[in-house]
Amino acid sequence: MRAANRGDQRAYARLLGAITPVVRGIVRARGGTLGAEGCEDVVQEVLLTIHLKRQTWHEDVPLRPWLYAVTRHKVIDAFRARGQRIHLPVEDFVDVLAAPEAADPFEAQDMARVIDRLEPRAAEIVRAIGISGESAAETGARLGMSEGAVRVALHRALRSLARLRERMIE
Amino acid sequence: MKTDALIAALATDARPQAGLGARLLRGLPLAVALSALALLLVWSLRADLLAALTSPALVKTLAPAALGLSALGLARGLSAPLPRAGVPALLVGALGLTALAAVLWGVATGGLGALTMHAEKPTLLTCIVSIPLLSALPLAAILWAMRHGAPASPLAAGAAGGLAAGALGAMVYSLHCPEDAVLFFIPAYGTMILVMTALGALLGARLLRW
Repeated sequence: MRAANRGDQRAYARLLGAITPVVRGIVRARGGTLGAEGCEDVVQEVLLTIHLKRQTWHEDVPLRPWLYAVTRHKVIDAFRARGQRIHLPVEDFVDVLAAPEAADPFEAQDMARVIDRLEPRAAEIVRAIGISGESAAETGARLGMSEGAVRVALHRALRSLARLRERMIE
Repeated sequence: MKTDALIAALATDARPQAGLGARLLRGLPLAVALSALALLLVWSLRADLLAALTSPALVKTLAPAALGLSALGLARGLSAPLPRAGVPALLVGALGLTALAAVLWGVATGGLGALTMHAEKPTLLTCIVSIPLLSALPLAAILWAMRHGAPASPLAAGAAGGLAAGALGAMVYSLHCPEDAVLFFIPAYGTMILVMTALGALLGARLLRW
């Protein structure tokens, strides 16, 4: 995280990759009723928050307690917000419905819906870098933007995502 | 969207981010300077400012300044998921207790009449109206910076921000205020600083959620 806070992309990706199973474990332990997809929505929400609030971690203390505090906060938040929604576990329909194709458990729905609500160019950038795995430079070349401008737009888009999610859930 | 895809997008956005301290430095000095400019243009400085600033009345400006800075440290400490109050909380507490002790000592030696005498002064109304007005911009700058934090308790963090804004507003107002009596300025400034603290807590609970 220390390297990540100085802008080391690869170290940061490794860190997020290492954190994700831990977060997923906490979310699943707390929210079995949400189903795998619902849990993954919450996991992604937590990761986005960790990303946007990462400068509130002080480098002189261990990372783990901070990580747990953020995760706990967002998980409680997410379940409180979803408590109002009616959730029908698909298991109840197993006898009625034809067995659906097993969905990739890491595919979450909410984030895709929120990305659709971004303005087109911001959504394009998030999809290009996230889903198609382009680098900021490649996206910039394709869209006729400088690499720096793509990074700024990406950062703004991620902040809007967090805002939009909150509004959508409320 | 797959979680791996999200991680890729997040990692690409790994530029170092400005911390709360840096954001405070970006907006707050300007806000305080604008408040001071407003004081200069609308309220005017007290005529004997230079004499006052070289006399014991200087404490009327220095104490709110010290309180404001300590409260800023406190607001910063409370803006994290794992809050830490530490030294700034002690400083705020010590300043508050000293002010309270000074008032009690003043009442004990001068009687309650010494306190109520000041309540009839017309400058009291000016003071009560002015401090919140002069605190408004600092409060906005502080809350703007704090929105990038992640406070365990938005209410407490907002209160610390309001305390800082109120103290800075009082510091600015002290450059106009002609009353140097301890039993005037501590109760008057203190009350208005507490009002701003409550306002900060209310706003914080709404604006600082994350």
